[in-house]
Amino acid sequence: MTALRDVNLRVRPGEFLCLIGPSGCGKSTVLNMFAGLTAPTDGLVLHDGRPVSGVNTRVGYVTQDDNLLPWRTTLANVEIALELKGVGREARRERARQYLARVGLQGFEDHYPHELSGGMRKRVSIVRTLVDESVNVILMDEPLGPLDAQTRLLLQDELLQLWQGSGRTVIFVTHDLVEAIALSDRIAIFSRAPGQIKELREVGIDRPRDVFHIHEAPGFAAIYDAIWNDLRDEIRRGREPIGG
Amino acid sequence: MAEGVHEERLRTREIHRARRAARADRLRVLGWQLLLLALFLASWAWASGRVLDRLFLSDPVSVARAFWAILLRGTLWFHLRFTLTETLLGYVIGATLGLASALLVSLIPAGEPVLRPFVLLAYATPKIALAPLMIIWFGIGIAPKVLLAAAFVFFVVFLSTLAGIGTVSAELVSVVRVMGATPLAVFGKVVLPSASPFIVTALRITIPAALIGAIIGEFISANRGVGYLINAASSRYATAEVFAGILSLLLVVLLMNAALSAVERRWLRWAPRPETAAP
Repeated sequence: MTALRDVNLRVRPGEFLCLIGPSGCGKSTVLNMFAGLTAPTDGLVLHDGRPVSGVNTRVGYVTQDDNLLPWRTTLANVEIALELKGVGREARRERARQYLARVGLQGFEDHYPHELSGGMRKRVSIVRTLVDESVNVILMDEPLGPLDAQTRLLLQDELLQLWQGSGRTVIFVTHDLVEAIALSDRIAIFSRAPGQIKELREVGIDRPRDVFHIHEAPGFAAIYDAIWNDLRDEIRRGREPIGG
Repeated sequence: MAEGVHEERLRTREIHRARRAARADRLRVLGWQLLLLALFLASWAWASGRVLDRLFLSDPVSVARAFWAILLRGTLWFHLRFTLTETLLGYVIGATLGLASALLVSLIPAGEPVLRPFVLLAYATPKIALAPLMIIWFGIGIAPKVLLAAAFVFFVVFLSTLAGIGTVSAELVSVVRVMGATPLAVFGKVVLPSASPFIVTALRITIPAALIGAIIGEFISANRGVGYLINAASSRYATAEVFAGILSLLLVVLLMNAALSAVERRWLRWAPRPETAAP
């Protein structure tokens, strides 16, 4: 089965790019290719001008499930990327604590994942990816998908605060149009499988953004309508809801 | 955000309350268990001589007396020493080999389907039937008993470890590899911990199995060991002494179990327990 065809995507350094489209359109496959977990049958993936071959350890990957290590405490989970890259114990502890504090998880360092709520596990999962500052590209595959609406907004806000000014590139897969507009600089709209990029739109809403009142931002309605038009055609053709 | 965290603190308190309630439950269970034990001993004492011949059934007091007598005489310790040595040696050898073989097989994924039927055949072979062969090959010393005990332990540990390694989440492995984990790091930091609940369970259920192996060996041919003690006592119709020997084996299993529980508490601290698991 062909998941993707003729996908030509140039990500700008430091931008927040969202990928959106009908379910099964291959958005996640793009992330897996960039992470080097799936090799393209044809074509090339470049990271900083170098071709990606094998697992790409210069990216951070936040998957849909939090994929925390159940046998590690919150702190040890956040430390793991630094540990694997040979950062000394004290230095990585310190960095992990700082990042945990930035998402309000101070005091939960010694909890195991099963003792945390879904929202907290998600925070840990995001923070353990961002804590490794040697990676300049962060891939996120519907990371906020399973959360309730309020927690989702809170995490969008925290994510933007963590990203703002970090100079890091984020490629974020979502099926939520409002979320895509609230977070990203540009949005790539995928067509039905085999996925192609149908449109690439600039969001053009000023930063810093207020995710809680993003509907009221100037320009929101225009970009929302434009993307909804792009998506509606795809959904009609596929006769299936947006998702995945 | 602050509200979310406050909510979590409340949740933590909730967990502690649940833990206290669980402790109270455990005490209640223990009370019932003691009652049941007392009931069992009382009906044993009552039935002995009334329902069944005392010669066959003995009774709790005689058993306790016999136990005390062989303990004081040093007979019990003399025999128990051999049984313990055989059991522990067999357990350690079987568990180590089982663990090592499973890890080795998991490193060569192509080999597992080839080996599987042979392993299952060997597993299905009644180890008891091997006992006479072991005696022929290794004599009546402790070697055949150690081997029997090891055979009882090996397959369970081997198959459980392999099953445990099979449950490792492929996605988790991918995530850790993107973080820069070498194959060795994946193995040590993901695969082994993932499999550890399976390994611990196997180590737990093979404790009595190791003892069975040793005792069977002693039944078939030996002049020392608790198995021999029981056999010799039963040929003299010294039922109380037979029960005393069985009692000492029970105590051995309980002790080994307690030791393993201590290890388990340290190793599997992270695993969700029923009373603290997220709702």
